[in-house]
Amino acid sequence: MPRTALTVHPGDNVVTLLDFKVDDRITQEGLPLIGSIPFGHKAASRDIAPGEPVIKYGVAIGVASRAIQIGEHVHVHNCR
Amino acid sequence: MSTTAAEPLGFKGFMRPDGRVGVRNHLALVSTVALANRTAEHAASHFDRLRASAGDPVLLIRGEFQRGLQAADARLQDEVLERLATHPNVGAAVVLCHDRRAAQAWSARLAAWPTPVEVLAVMDSRGVQHAIDRCVEALARMDARRAGFVRSDCPFSSLTLALECGGSDASSAVCSNPAIGRFVDRAVAAGATVIVSETAEFIGGEEVVRAQSQTPAIAQAIIDRIAVTESRMAGDGDHYRGVNPTAENIEAGLTTLVEKTMGALCKIGEARFAGCLAFGERPAVAGLQFMDTPFFSPCSITGMVAAGAQITLFSMGVFNPSGNTLAPTIKVCGNPDTLSRWPDGIDVGLAELIDGRIGLDEAGVRVHDAVLRVAKGGITHTERWGEGQFIIPRMLPTF
Repeated sequence: MPRTALTVHPGDNVVTLLDFKVDDRITQEGLPLIGSIPFGHKAASRDIAPGEPVIKYGVAIGVASRAIQIGEHVHVHNCR
Repeated sequence: MSTTAAEPLGFKGFMRPDGRVGVRNHLALVSTVALANRTAEHAASHFDRLRASAGDPVLLIRGEFQRGLQAADARLQDEVLERLATHPNVGAAVVLCHDRRAAQAWSARLAAWPTPVEVLAVMDSRGVQHAIDRCVEALARMDARRAGFVRSDCPFSSLTLALECGGSDASSAVCSNPAIGRFVDRAVAAGATVIVSETAEFIGGEEVVRAQSQTPAIAQAIIDRIAVTESRMAGDGDHYRGVNPTAENIEAGLTTLVEKTMGALCKIGEARFAGCLAFGERPAVAGLQFMDTPFFSPCSITGMVAAGAQITLFSMGVFNPSGNTLAPTIKVCGNPDTLSRWPDGIDVGLAELIDGRIGLDEAGVRVHDAVLRVAKGGITHTERWGEGQFIIPRMLPTF
């Protein structure tokens, strides 16, 4: 079952997961997910290099603190 | 199917002599200083037992310091307590001070006030029980006086709404905040006043403030307050992750303060700021108002209620019990998990927004319907639980 993922703004490099189907690994847009990403958490919609801004709502909400792969969970462990 | 709120309707509220409108007719007991708090608590519970007022208890407002506070902190404490004692949702109030001099000062402050209020000093009593008894007698006199107010037709524009969010998560940003935003657009167009606060949660949202202010001067005043807060946060030597965003924000998926800010800003809809207020300051004009407050909700709500907000709209992702006993707090939530686990704490559920079964317009109508229901006297969950605190910020050291 594909997961529901929201891209808030077209310029974003993350999507937000808005369902509880944490065992599924692909979004309805075809983005492959790495691991179980909880409701409300973010996944990278493309590769993000260390030091590159993490963009949601079309604004930089933080900076990648290490390389983030497409489909990877984006949170305090790799974004600050 | 929703049939109401196609247009902002009036409601039956309590018209006060100065033209302000209450959505409640509380009997308030305001203790101005911690020294008088226990006497006030005894008196309130005794009075409630006497008249078996389970559904309408004495509204207790407790000061923390006052004695010991310096300069601006002491003035703010007095001003906020005065604005709470004379809030439009208060039909009559007893103000309990510790010493006679404070009571004289409070009597002078409240001399011109048009709604009934009585000021007492604990130190005028002959014993602890006598102090409690005098307070109970004053409550009985004020209870009789507030009965003179009855509900009558009031315009929607007489409402001031406080906007708050707590337990924010991704659902706040896509459900409860934008739903409140739709309601705010309609409320402001109808002449109501809406206050939004928590300066720290505007950090990163400066461009939105510039785009959504009525004049460049208003935008600059707000942005200046944001800059002061940001420099304080950066300069206090503490790392604010885990403080804001809070531990539960982070668990819910919010990574940074800017991410939280951008979600929180959805609460203001398309409205434009008409003013920038200090903590507890009454707005001079209707419309959307920014208030400079600390970020934690019991404190920021205290400021907005002191400014005259009769109803609080509280957007939630994960559950947060915060509310206000004086301004009924409407909890709005779109997180399906929170809605299933906390049904006795949420007033407006918007889970259908997540899977697209309803749109934001319908969600905004639900918020509007809830506001009118509560304005007319409908009880919120926070009122049912008696949930809420009054917290007045301090900036200066205590000696």
